[in-house]
Amino acid sequence: MPNFMKSSLTRISWMTRLTFLEAIRQRFFAFLILLSAALVLSSVSFRFLDFGHGELKFVCDFGFGGMFLFGSVLAVVMSAQLFFAEMDNRTALTLLAKPVSRTEFLVGKFIGVWLVLGVFIFTLSTLLGIILWARCQELTATAIEVGKAPPELSITGLLSYTGMQWARLGVVAAMILMVASLARTFLFTVIVGSMLVVAGQLQWLAQETLLKPGELNFFSKALLSISTYIIPNLQQFNIGDALTLDHGSVADGAVTLALFSGTCYIVVFLFIGSLIFRQREI
Amino acid sequence: MKALRVQWMLAIFCLGLAGVIAELSWTKVRVSIPEMGKKQIEPSLGQGMLLGILGGFRTVVADGAWIRSYVLWERRDRAGCEALMRTSCLLDPRARFFWENTGYVIGYDMAHWEIRKRGGYAKVSAEIQDDLFKKYAQHGINVMDEGIKYTGGNVGILISAGQMSELKLKDFSQAASYYKRASESKNAPWFVHFLCARALWESGETKKAYDWYREVWQKKLSNEDDHAPDDLEHLRFMEDQLHLALLQRIPRQSWEKNN
Repeated sequence: MPNFMKSSLTRISWMTRLTFLEAIRQRFFAFLILLSAALVLSSVSFRFLDFGHGELKFVCDFGFGGMFLFGSVLAVVMSAQLFFAEMDNRTALTLLAKPVSRTEFLVGKFIGVWLVLGVFIFTLSTLLGIILWARCQELTATAIEVGKAPPELSITGLLSYTGMQWARLGVVAAMILMVASLARTFLFTVIVGSMLVVAGQLQWLAQETLLKPGELNFFSKALLSISTYIIPNLQQFNIGDALTLDHGSVADGAVTLALFSGTCYIVVFLFIGSLIFRQREI
Repeated sequence: MKALRVQWMLAIFCLGLAGVIAELSWTKVRVSIPEMGKKQIEPSLGQGMLLGILGGFRTVVADGAWIRSYVLWERRDRAGCEALMRTSCLLDPRARFFWENTGYVIGYDMAHWEIRKRGGYAKVSAEIQDDLFKKYAQHGINVMDEGIKYTGGNVGILISAGQMSELKLKDFSQAASYYKRASESKNAPWFVHFLCARALWESGETKKAYDWYREVWQKKLSNEDDHAPDDLEHLRFMEDQLHLALLQRIPRQSWEKNN
């Protein structure tokens, strides 16, 4: 590896370490992880509210909902907060005065945030996996007793879904850092970022509409086409039910392609973010 | 300056490329998300179900929508009740409960609500009443058909659709076709074979009903532990009604009761 690349990676790893330590100590992170864990743990007690779903599906849904909702909130708020903390405290000036490039600063921030999001997602997933496994054992025993088919549960499927959610949160964090590199205030970043997340979750609707464009005029068609390329389709990472409870229904290579797509978006958003950030006055 | 412009062009190109890859990925992933469809989410718009559509807590939101639909059911609000019930179906399309009960409410209750809204049973003529019962029953069956598709042919929904065809539409051929599909599935309940034969019989295809029932009994039911004596009794009744000769009948079983 060339020397300049080695030293650049070292600087990125410092930035990552700093960001990770700063983020993991935040009360907001602790609060959200506790809230999500409580939600996952309480899912078993809420079974009586359920109508006709499989019990494992209900528990899964609580866990996946927690990962989706609180994970998104954490990715949006924490990425913006950590970026603007450096700006507002003027520590960014000190850092960038050293031989740290703005791209390295942004990439370091991203990896640090992404690692924290990984801690969040994998902690919740482990907790959910334990609960699902324990309930699956009990339900299997009961099903065998009454001569019914035992429920299906795929722990590897849960692991794949966790990886996909981590990729999704990575896309969200990269997108927020891109917005933050352009924005002047924390609040603006959080609001625009949240809107982008909602748009990303609903982006598939634009794709569906484009499949039957008969009723659309040229302007709407062009707008929809552009939006499908610019806004990432975050719904492609939401196949938790199929992966965990009905593993056979997922097409071959779907997970790999979704992860690849997520990685592409992360790289592109960070690239655009660094282009904007390089021209920004601090 | 030129280098920056090139970088920006490269960034835009890469963004487009990422979009193409995402599109490819979505086509692969989409089949695993049956609840996703532009047309299917239309009934949920304006129902406050955004979180479920976005992707989190789908089951919980579906349950919430179902509870809310009960309130509208009590108020006999046809449009609201159906919209919320369809929302539950959309958010969790693999659950039998939502499809079956939505079909029941539409097929069995809503015609009565409309008759009452039009002034009551005394004011609405019998023809119009009959027309309304059939219209709503067909609508309920259509909902159940969707459920059958999404659940991969759930036996419970098939039987319910057959029952509604029989009771409300008086279409015994249609009922028989639903019962037959239920009878052919792996976990068919013991009574569904008789329901199918009876519906075929009522539709006027008496010989066809007997032949089909006899084949099922000989190939499947007679191999069960108790040899399905009730089904054989029904077959004997059919043989009598069809005036079959002794040799055309099912041979007498050693365990069969004397009548």
